[in-house]
Amino acid sequence: MANWAILSGIEGNLAAYEAVLADIRRQRQPVTDLYIVGDLVGLRGDNEALVRRVRSPQPGEPIPQVCTGWWEEQCFSLHGLRGLPDAPELVDRDRLGTVKDLWEAVSRQTVLWLADLDFGFHELDCLLIHGSTVSYSDELTPETSPLTLCDRLIRADANTLFCGRSGLAFECWVEPSALQSTVTTLDQTAAPQEQGKSPRRVVGVGNVGRQAGQASYVLYNPGTNKVTFKQVQGSLAKGFGASKGLSHR
Amino acid sequence: MKLAVISCIHGNYEALNAVLSDIDTHRADQIYCLGDLAGYGPHPNAVVELVRSLDIPTCQGCWDEDIVEGLNACECSYPSQLAEKRGHLAHEWTNRAIHPEVRKYLATLPMTLRQDNLCFVHGSPNSQHEYLLPSMDGFAALERVLSAEADVLFCGHTHVPYLRELDNGTLSVKVQQPGQGETQHQFTAPLKRIVNAGSVGEPRHGRPNATYVLYDTDSAQVTLREVPYDYAKTCAAIIEQGLPPIFAWRLARGMEFAERADDPGHVCER
Repeated sequence: MANWAILSGIEGNLAAYEAVLADIRRQRQPVTDLYIVGDLVGLRGDNEALVRRVRSPQPGEPIPQVCTGWWEEQCFSLHGLRGLPDAPELVDRDRLGTVKDLWEAVSRQTVLWLADLDFGFHELDCLLIHGSTVSYSDELTPETSPLTLCDRLIRADANTLFCGRSGLAFECWVEPSALQSTVTTLDQTAAPQEQGKSPRRVVGVGNVGRQAGQASYVLYNPGTNKVTFKQVQGSLAKGFGASKGLSHR
Repeated sequence: MKLAVISCIHGNYEALNAVLSDIDTHRADQIYCLGDLAGYGPHPNAVVELVRSLDIPTCQGCWDEDIVEGLNACECSYPSQLAEKRGHLAHEWTNRAIHPEVRKYLATLPMTLRQDNLCFVHGSPNSQHEYLLPSMDGFAALERVLSAEADVLFCGHTHVPYLRELDNGTLSVKVQQPGQGETQHQFTAPLKRIVNAGSVGEPRHGRPNATYVLYDTDSAQVTLREVPYDYAKTCAAIIEQGLPPIFAWRLARGMEFAERADDPGHVCER
């Protein structure tokens, strides 16, 4: 039976990633698929070692399926591969010399590998993505307007949207229960149509590497449609610190 | 107050004149224009000059943007590579024909105009290129109106006029976060409306007549207007100027596309 582990926001924190992998190995129901929805790399972690680890899973480990996130997009911009030149989003937040730090934190060779990753994954009736189909920087949280969440689900053509941009762990069921739509054209006024639809949800998958000593991720069983939030405590002495000493946002 | 909202003139001077006369007849107090002054048609400079001379508040359309920024439109809407090539030809012709001061004026146009609870855009509040079709999911359509912080969203771009009323929108949300209790809340939206102004200069509703809308701010009444004009004159000018003759053929019929083709080779490269 399929059992997915969905991670985001590792941000180069290899120790946190290892702790999560260890937790995944301990699951009674084996994890069959491992998704990393962006922000594999970050500013402060050992990005090169992490990427090597992700690209070389050990025997018996699921092969990670990785898509791009906010930090990857900043790398592409800095290296002139795509997006706006000179990483304006990063420059806007450059209180701590982040442009220089990011340039030094991720090698060009790694950036080129990252540039081949997908923007997201459509699996079954789910979309797994860093932000949303609107943008990698689209930050969905429990505070996001219900209509915006509904719009993102409709755009994604998905019943469940897994996202990682906010770094928060949450499950938000949205039920667009009623809406009457009436269209008038030059030739006719059509009968009103009821547009209500069944509930669907946005799931924030938490973050692996942003918080010192604490990683979060989700397990999803497509057979039962159940999401389980996982938290992994780690020892700071083992290097399981936050991947950076600054706010992501 | 009576408003007239026009859109997508596309260099069709004859149609614009006819619509302005119709607006005069209906004694509109204010005209708004939702962009696409240029493109496809033979008289982009004259159209811009007329709009400017009447001091009509105007948003920038996708064709206006392309004339300013260089061809950058998402051409997903073209049904085939052939149609896309014709679109590029029209762009190149317009790009050559447009006067420098007209180009400069098009560059100054805003993406959005507002008056009280009304918002005016070319495509959608997100983009000049997004089509708000009447068949769009109702909740997605409602999101566009609310994101514009308006009660009535006027748009164009599709070239087919319509009024869409979205009423009694209700969503409920149930949030679960680790370590916290479940929370629930409900969201309701009052009546919101999308008014598509159609197209003055390149109508696509199946007839050659120009279209636009009238809106009464006191009664909130929307009137979709269809105005006959001498389209044969514009068609002749299209051919005379060396634009693809099929544009004239399409204009004379009010067709959406000159042909329908399911072309799997046509991939948006944006």
